[in-house]
Amino acid sequence: MSAAGAASGDARRTRWVAVVLAWLFPGLGHFYLSRRRSAVVYAVVVTVTFLLGLSFQGRLYTVEAGQPLSILATFAVAGTGLLNLAARVLSDNPGGAVLAVTYEYGCAYLLTAGLMNLLLMLDAWDIAVGRKP
Amino acid sequence: MTVFAALLPTDHFLIMTTYALLVSIFFAFLWRNEGRDRWVLFGKIFAALVVGGLAVAWLMYPFPA
Repeated sequence: MSAAGAASGDARRTRWVAVVLAWLFPGLGHFYLSRRRSAVVYAVVVTVTFLLGLSFQGRLYTVEAGQPLSILATFAVAGTGLLNLAARVLSDNPGGAVLAVTYEYGCAYLLTAGLMNLLLMLDAWDIAVGRKP
Repeated sequence: MTVFAALLPTDHFLIMTTYALLVSIFFAFLWRNEGRDRWVLFGKIFAALVVGGLAVAWLMYPFPA
């Protein structure tokens, strides 16, 4: 393999590693790409948003038959990677508490945390391919 | 978690403001690279979310559920 081909292979691997790390934990992809300060801010903001969502007794969505929007909601919440998986395993009530005053807020916080992390995955990709300075 | 839950706000305005704060910080860092630009964008998004939320609440006031 030529030097150019090896470099291209490394670049391709770097962008995929960055995206996977970004999904696993907020900010990890940026940390891998040496954006340390941004990585810390993203980790704190997304994690706090997610934990507040759980504390407000929001719902960790799952796909429900006859509820097509639940597919989008599940996809959004799954964007938080290990936080989502850990919460599903450790939470007493992953379905949330519909009667709680803060339930709707909790759902909004959880969905937002997931969507933020999906944006971070795209951002990590853009940085890795050199599309973003 | 129980102690943490006791400290959580149940005030609607405070929950909305906290949400606006987190979202504003996130997008200020995502969309701007320089310190001053980040502060400006943070201020704009935060103000838009809080003022917009209050405006929508005011418009919906005559139509309670």
